[in-house]
Amino acid sequence: MPQDFLLVALIVLPFVGSIVVALLPDTSRNAAAWLAGAIAITGLVIVSAFYPAVLGGASIRHDIAWLPQFGLTFSLRLDGFAWAFSILITGIGALVMLYARYYISPSDPVARFFSLLLAFMGAMLGIALSGNLVQLVFFWELTSVLSFLLIGYWHHNASARAGARMALTVTATGGLCLFAGVIVLGHIVGSYDLDVVLKSGNQIRGHPLYLTALILVLLGALTKSAQFPFHFWLPQAMNAPTPVSAYLHSAAMVKAGVFLLVRLWPAMGGTDYWLWLVGSAGLATFIVGAFLAVFQQDLKGLLAYSTISHLGLITLLIGLDRPLALVAAIFHMLNHATFKASLFMAAGIIDHETGTRDIRRLSGLWRFMPITAVLAMVAAAAMAGVPLLNGFLSKEMFFAETIETHDGSMLDDALPYIVTLASMFSVAYSLRFIRDVFFGPPPTDLPRTPHEPPRWMRFPVEVLVVACLVVGMVPALTIGPILDTAVHAVLGPAAPEYSLAVWHGFNFPLLMSGVALAGGIAIYLVLRKSLQTAADGPRLLRGLDAAQIFERVMVTVSWRWARSLESLLGTRRLQSQLLLLVCAALVAALWPVYLHGLGADRIASTNIDPVFAANWVVGIACALGCARLAKYHRLAAVILGGGAGLATCITFVWLSAIDLALTQLLVEIVTTVLLLLGLRWLPKRFEVIDVAARARTIGSTRRRRLRDLAIAVMSGCGLSILAYSVMTSPTPDSISKFFLERAYTDGGGSNVVNVILVDFRGFDTLGEITVLGVVALTVFALLRRFRPAPDSVGIPEQQTPANALHDDHFTDGTQGGFLPVAAVIVQLLFPFMVMMAVFLFLRGHDLPGGGFIAGITMAIALILQYMAGGIRLVETRLRISPLRWISFGLLTAACAGAAPWLFSRPFLTSYANYAELPLIGAVPTASAVIFDLGVFLLVVGATALMLVALAHQSIRSHRVARATATAAPSEDT
Amino acid sequence: MTRWLDHLLVFPVVLPLVAGAVMLLIDEQHRILKTAISIATIVALTGVAIALLGLVDARSTEAASASVWVYRLGDWPAPFAIVLVADRLSAMMLVLTSVLGLASMVFSVARWDRAGSHFRAMFLFLLMGLNGAFLTGDLFNLFVWFELLLAASYGLVLHGSGTRRVKAGLHYIAVNLATSLLFLIGVSLIYGVTGTLNMADLATRIPQVPAESRGLLETGAAVLGIAFLVKAGIWPLSFWLPSAYSAATPPVAAMFAIMSKLGLYAVLRLWLLLFGASSGASAHFGGDWLAFAGMATIVFGAIGVLASQDIARLAGFSVLISSGTVMAAIATAQVGVTGPALYYLVSSTLGIGALFMLIELLERGREPGADVLAVTREAYGEDEADDLLRPDEAGVAIPAAMAILGLCFIGCTLVLAGLPPLSGFIAKFAMLSALFGPPGPGTHAGVPPLAWALLGLLIVSGLTTLVAMTRAGIRTLWTGAERTVPRVRVIEIAPIIILLLATATMTVQAEPVMRYMQATAAALYAPQGYIHGVLSAPAGRGAPKKEGS
Amino acid sequence: MELILSLAIGTLAGCGVWLLLRPRTFQVIMGLVLLSYAVNLFILGVGGVRLGMPPFLAKGQTGSVAQFADPLPQSLVLTAIVISFATTALFLVVLLASRGLTGTDHVDGAEPEA
Repeated sequence: MPQDFLLVALIVLPFVGSIVVALLPDTSRNAAAWLAGAIAITGLVIVSAFYPAVLGGASIRHDIAWLPQFGLTFSLRLDGFAWAFSILITGIGALVMLYARYYISPSDPVARFFSLLLAFMGAMLGIALSGNLVQLVFFWELTSVLSFLLIGYWHHNASARAGARMALTVTATGGLCLFAGVIVLGHIVGSYDLDVVLKSGNQIRGHPLYLTALILVLLGALTKSAQFPFHFWLPQAMNAPTPVSAYLHSAAMVKAGVFLLVRLWPAMGGTDYWLWLVGSAGLATFIVGAFLAVFQQDLKGLLAYSTISHLGLITLLIGLDRPLALVAAIFHMLNHATFKASLFMAAGIIDHETGTRDIRRLSGLWRFMPITAVLAMVAAAAMAGVPLLNGFLSKEMFFAETIETHDGSMLDDALPYIVTLASMFSVAYSLRFIRDVFFGPPPTDLPRTPHEPPRWMRFPVEVLVVACLVVGMVPALTIGPILDTAVHAVLGPAAPEYSLAVWHGFNFPLLMSGVALAGGIAIYLVLRKSLQTAADGPRLLRGLDAAQIFERVMVTVSWRWARSLESLLGTRRLQSQLLLLVCAALVAALWPVYLHGLGADRIASTNIDPVFAANWVVGIACALGCARLAKYHRLAAVILGGGAGLATCITFVWLSAIDLALTQLLVEIVTTVLLLLGLRWLPKRFEVIDVAARARTIGSTRRRRLRDLAIAVMSGCGLSILAYSVMTSPTPDSISKFFLERAYTDGGGSNVVNVILVDFRGFDTLGEITVLGVVALTVFALLRRFRPAPDSVGIPEQQTPANALHDDHFTDGTQGGFLPVAAVIVQLLFPFMVMMAVFLFLRGHDLPGGGFIAGITMAIALILQYMAGGIRLVETRLRISPLRWISFGLLTAACAGAAPWLFSRPFLTSYANYAELPLIGAVPTASAVIFDLGVFLLVVGATALMLVALAHQSIRSHRVARATATAAPSEDT
Repeated sequence: MTRWLDHLLVFPVVLPLVAGAVMLLIDEQHRILKTAISIATIVALTGVAIALLGLVDARSTEAASASVWVYRLGDWPAPFAIVLVADRLSAMMLVLTSVLGLASMVFSVARWDRAGSHFRAMFLFLLMGLNGAFLTGDLFNLFVWFELLLAASYGLVLHGSGTRRVKAGLHYIAVNLATSLLFLIGVSLIYGVTGTLNMADLATRIPQVPAESRGLLETGAAVLGIAFLVKAGIWPLSFWLPSAYSAATPPVAAMFAIMSKLGLYAVLRLWLLLFGASSGASAHFGGDWLAFAGMATIVFGAIGVLASQDIARLAGFSVLISSGTVMAAIATAQVGVTGPALYYLVSSTLGIGALFMLIELLERGREPGADVLAVTREAYGEDEADDLLRPDEAGVAIPAAMAILGLCFIGCTLVLAGLPPLSGFIAKFAMLSALFGPPGPGTHAGVPPLAWALLGLLIVSGLTTLVAMTRAGIRTLWTGAERTVPRVRVIEIAPIIILLLATATMTVQAEPVMRYMQATAAALYAPQGYIHGVLSAPAGRGAPKKEGS
Repeated sequence: MELILSLAIGTLAGCGVWLLLRPRTFQVIMGLVLLSYAVNLFILGVGGVRLGMPPFLAKGQTGSVAQFADPLPQSLVLTAIVISFATTALFLVVLLASRGLTGTDHVDGAEPEA
């Protein structure tokens, strides 16, 4: 259906165009401009083609499912109001594109500029056409982001960056509030669909959450429309290129806020909250903006503040909460867009041709650019509300509305006088704009000698000013029908009767206009002299500049407070992190125990065996000693730790876990060797470090140590209690009976633990050996880059006397060669140890042993060679490349696992049988053995790799010494 | 071919294992070959993952009971030996893992794989660990895979060595080693009380646990939970995370983005399976704690994001925000919220991954003594130092590098701050919309305070992210007088763009994606399908002797 | 027996935690070693304390829980031992590297000020 297609095209075109333009080379200025303009005009044509469809409050919509589960449909909804707004967006958009073509200098990357402008136009159309509130928020935030990029287009100057950031921060925050408000509205209404929301006004107003929703939505609208007290971002945004200001900050984006207010008035308006919140915000903005505008010295600054004040006027009208006021609001939205956009463009022309926007420096431009001057004057007059111009009409309606009584409060009675006063100021600044810029003596020391701009640069201004005139003279014929459709779209049947006549006879509004004009002229004449020389802004208020205040607050909150809070709530020290971890675990463990207790019935505990007890008396002593000595006597600590490990090992035997005992023993040996190899690189530390430092930190240190001790004791007790209660609680029927039953019959091995490891839970083992391999790789990678600290590079003094005797061994950093006898013995032992490993491996499935144990044994055999024979010796003798072992180990395991695929059995399926081998006897040839072989290979490789890599360091140390010596200065940065 | 299809479920573990092992055989000289193999492997992994997702989804949609796909390792029946289980959740995580893995592997080819030895092997083992963890249906096996991926991550976080990495790595390793011990304690306690390790079996046994053993059971569960929270980076157990992540090399950091999600996955899986509504006395045990922890994490993350100077740290903190958000959303224990939370999980993971890679490119262009070079110079032994300083011969420098980098940065910002038009917005909207009562006519009861809190936190965290990212972006991209335009290679920027495009696709295709997520959530909240699917899998090597068969 | 064993576990754990919270890397690694002993014993204990059970099945026999110690915790402990061995080795090397690069053996890579 063509209508839907056109509707979609209307929204899609700008974005497509923006992408296309973005791809153009930066130099193709004309192409970009024309393409952009063409798209804007196409949009305008499409929109105007819809005119008949939206007459008399009718509306068309087209829905596309987007996230229906959550009531989010991409629905385009065009009614009279949206239509008028779209005309504004596309029409002024087109003019701005044309204007920008001449304004932006060829040296700028224009492609980016136009592409951003197009995208922005698309987003604005999205807001106008949204038939779904969430979708509206979607485009709303999009405009914030795009305006950020447009304001920051000249990001090489700092003020542009600051302005862009401020605009984004304020409007995006508002947008997020609007988002929240929409969520709440959806909660109230039960739908995000605009039509539904508009229909259920009473339900919304009656809901307890009404005020919450209202405030959130208003925060969105008022920030976007730069309403007091959020107005400060708009003047800062004036650092944007003038086309951007003309489009975003007069016609389109800042209107989005008031657009939304008008949109939602039927749903949320008509309450005292609305009257007071919206009305007072509007009134305050109207006055403050008008007042401050008078004191601006920057042309665009003046226009910015006047924009703020006019938006305040519109907001006030909406806040007045009456149909006629709403009509006036919509009317003024259109008028303001026309004359303010043209004024911005005129200001841009002046800036472009004279090189400055400082009102104090400009004067008498009339002589140089008469046409521009005339245009600007007409527009400014419209801004001031001079009769026969469009500004006058809406202002009259505005005055008429202010006279009406709304809630009869004192403010309500004072309203007409206040607005008249404010209007005086707006007359004053309009007058100033005309008088100071175009009249007076010819300008001196301008950067450039001014002259008329290029024909087509002025054209957009001409169009807009003509519009002002025509609308001002024959409103009923020109703007009448448009306004009518818009009004009917919003108010429906409630649309009031109103007349767009230029002349309503002598009445209060006319009087107020007259007073305002006269007063404005008077104010201007009074202030003129001082303004000629004054700095920006009124003298008294210069101190408190909202923008500066905002920046300061932002820095304080988002930087200083954040940093102190981070260091307060967080830490970068390891000790406190581990402390937190332990405490968290303690709490987590004790809380349920506290809730449920540990259960009453205990199974009879087995009677105590004195030997076992003795074993643990020793073990506990070792553990305590290790804890005590680990700081100053590392060697002793290692030995004592080994003692504790031994006790553990014996316990395993006691608890009939032979494999564990064996494994623990071997692992114990290797770990100890590793630690001993490592000790050599640690700094020397002696019991007595300087007493002064001790004395200084003693208090805090002791406190910390006591705290840690308490934590340690608590966790120890906690774990023993848990252990005791779990050991003595009745055992549930465990899945392990299955293993006991099937280990031999199906697993083909009588060593159940081993069968579990390689068959039942072989997958665990696969992962486990991979862990070992990965760790070995990491160790290797780290040690390749190992740089010992300078003070531990030299040969440890335990070796130095020996070195004095045997110079030939000097290069060999280990004690190798000092024990020739042991060396010989160990070398003789080597084959036997290998045999032992093979034996352990083969019997693994039935008796203690298996791939892992065998592998470690093998590795120990290797390391013994190192210890006895010396590194050089061994590395020349036997060439094993551990990496290959690791790799083959993994591959073997994987293949053993994957083999069953050929028989269409799952991964790791094992096949078991027995074979008679000479000497060894019945050997289980369960295919799991192949898997176990993989384990063996990997363990040998990994362990050897780690040990060798660490041991090797002592040879490298001399070379490294040089390295650190040279690299040290560069590195410690 | 169907025969291979049967074994598809184990491929995600076996493929990287074999490839990683092969990597060790090939000498470092053959970079091209190694790269080719590893990338081919990950592509295959992605294919497998997507296929799994499709199959599982198809099965589940036709019959809710068969919502899982079980693979009996060693052909042993379910509760006793280890089984691999694929349901919608694990399939989704697999796809996410492999996509992110592919992106960062391609990215690393440009330079980072040379910053140390055995990068690819360890990367592949990391993938193996992740996939195993996502697939396994056995509690202790989960521990093993956790250990594997942690071991690999230790290696990778230290990859390239250098003071900063070693410092951060030391903390990372110390904390996680302690955590692993907690994991073991938790698992063994649970086994001691229930006598089983199979997750589905646990779910059936927990309701029957006698009252006097509940204390032990919940203790075990709580200790286990602590272990998971540490991995997920939940406050106050998360201080190691930003340092470690920002110190790691970019492709590694990108992978870490999903590792932190593994903790969330475990909580989501186990908490809802073992302590779901149907778990008798212990139903929703510890839920409030999770909620508070999650929200505290959001707060801390938001503060940290503001407080961090360099972008890498900022990204690290945004990991916290995303973890906290998911955790809090899960803790609401509402099926309606969990679906969007999963959507958010995916979207934020992609965004963070992209950001971590992007940061390095941004920093690279800054003043000549760029810290990246400093790091790599430090990383290289003085013998190999010139390896990187030599200009890349293969690299095609792409035009308008800055513009593209800027766009990508904006993209990341939008995703993380939850602004339109990328998926972050949809995710937040869906979560909030679900929290504030489903749309559609009908009066809603009052809004729970938790919902309000979450609304506020989501808004605020989005705002802080926006502010911080804008600040950082302006600093790196706009105050560029002194900066030289970085030499960016296509293979470096392409992965980032791909990831961002993925989020864009998630936005456009929001409806089907979200439907999948909702189905996933629904299955999680009705675990009977999972339990039944695992335990009633046709018994393999049962009574009949194998000699016979 | 249970009492002694749990006391042993507790002591090992306590010493481990104490060392874990110390400022020197070497103390931390010893702490991890002790803790892993404690945890291994704990896992084994969870299976129940069974003294003097026959370690292996006789040929062709199908065992039952009554006459054998629970084999599952044993296999778990085996895996745990291997993994903790690996991680200990890794941590050792990392602390050496940190000592080498930072010049100190403090866990934070820098001597605490004051």
